[in-house]
Amino acid sequence: MSEKGGKGFSLPTGKAVKSSLKSTPSTKDASLKGKDDSSTKSKKGRKVQFDSEGLHEPKSNFSSKFDNPAAASGKDWGKGGKGDKVGNGRKKEPQPLELKIEQELPQSAKCLMDCEAADILQGIQEQMILLSKDPTIKIPVSFDKGLQYAKRTSHYTNPQSVRKVLETLTKYGVSDGEISVIANVCPETTDEVFALVPSLKTTRSVLSQPLKEVLSELTKLKQST
Amino acid sequence: MFFHIVLERNMQLHPRHFGRNLRENLVAKLMKDVEGTCSGQHGFVVAITGIENIGKGLIRDGTGFVSFPVKYQCVVFRPFKGEILEAVVTMVNKMGFFAEAGPVQIFVSNHLIPDDMEFQSGDMPNYTTSDGSVKIQKDSEVRLKIIGTRVDATEIFCIGTIKDDFLGVINDPATA
Repeated sequence: MSEKGGKGFSLPTGKAVKSSLKSTPSTKDASLKGKDDSSTKSKKGRKVQFDSEGLHEPKSNFSSKFDNPAAASGKDWGKGGKGDKVGNGRKKEPQPLELKIEQELPQSAKCLMDCEAADILQGIQEQMILLSKDPTIKIPVSFDKGLQYAKRTSHYTNPQSVRKVLETLTKYGVSDGEISVIANVCPETTDEVFALVPSLKTTRSVLSQPLKEVLSELTKLKQST
Repeated sequence: MFFHIVLERNMQLHPRHFGRNLRENLVAKLMKDVEGTCSGQHGFVVAITGIENIGKGLIRDGTGFVSFPVKYQCVVFRPFKGEILEAVVTMVNKMGFFAEAGPVQIFVSNHLIPDDMEFQSGDMPNYTTSDGSVKIQKDSEVRLKIIGTRVDATEIFCIGTIKDDFLGVINDPATA
């Protein structure tokens, strides 16, 4: 963990560090202003786009790994107004992007399926209720939203069996991240999987049959609701 | 998507918190400091699930504060480019629509909405196909693909698309 962090810090070039230092005060203002405007979403949206150039710079403080994708996305935003260009960019993007899940996070990171996350967060929420008697600890908004989201998107009741079924795919070279995506979107056909997770297309011939079996197993585990 | 991850942080603790409850105080402060924050590398720290290890404290010169290296496990939420998400629409306008997936905000521009969907203004602005069979309005659930992300100190913002196979509305509140 620590050596990973160290890497993150050593990579940014001197230039990046300098520029982020310079821009920090102004970005802080900007993000504060953005917060004030949060009552009207449209304003916020506009503001966010407007500030995007300044805002993505300080990230080099956190991680240089994120720097490149951030810069790339910055370009996307600029193009946002001219739709056709984004369309072109999009076609090329997904394949390398999907693969980055493992590269961008430290190795200790473990992908969670939404149903697993829902279980964990639900457990924590029960503890939180006890803790909330202490007024100095307040449950952050992102926790509630995260829990809500996890509950809404978890299609399965029993995460362990879902994990078991999907783990059979790892021997075909399907990564943890891809497995989680499959579990989260809950696809019905193999075509759907290959369309949504384009990184799997390279092994399509080998993968089709086992994937089909896995999907039929998964439909059995689906929530009745 | 959600991740379980081990992170490390140096926690500075005031001497008044020392004593029998030092550990509890340290953990409480960690939760207060860390939960709800976000960074480009890890995304949103949604919740701390456990403490791996608290290292030896080091007195800071001149202040009396002691800093402890704390390793903790937490659940983080980070959107990735190319990821498929299910999100709830929060606002629709002629530029496109905004949706929310957990703590993350996603904007889908009208260029990234299928061409056969037209914007309809009114009390409940929406995007509708010409035959009226599919409708995107506030509180609709859509499946979308993330094509860009941007992170600042307090939030993550994404650009998404529904102009692709197997993307779009999954649940219409009007018909449900």
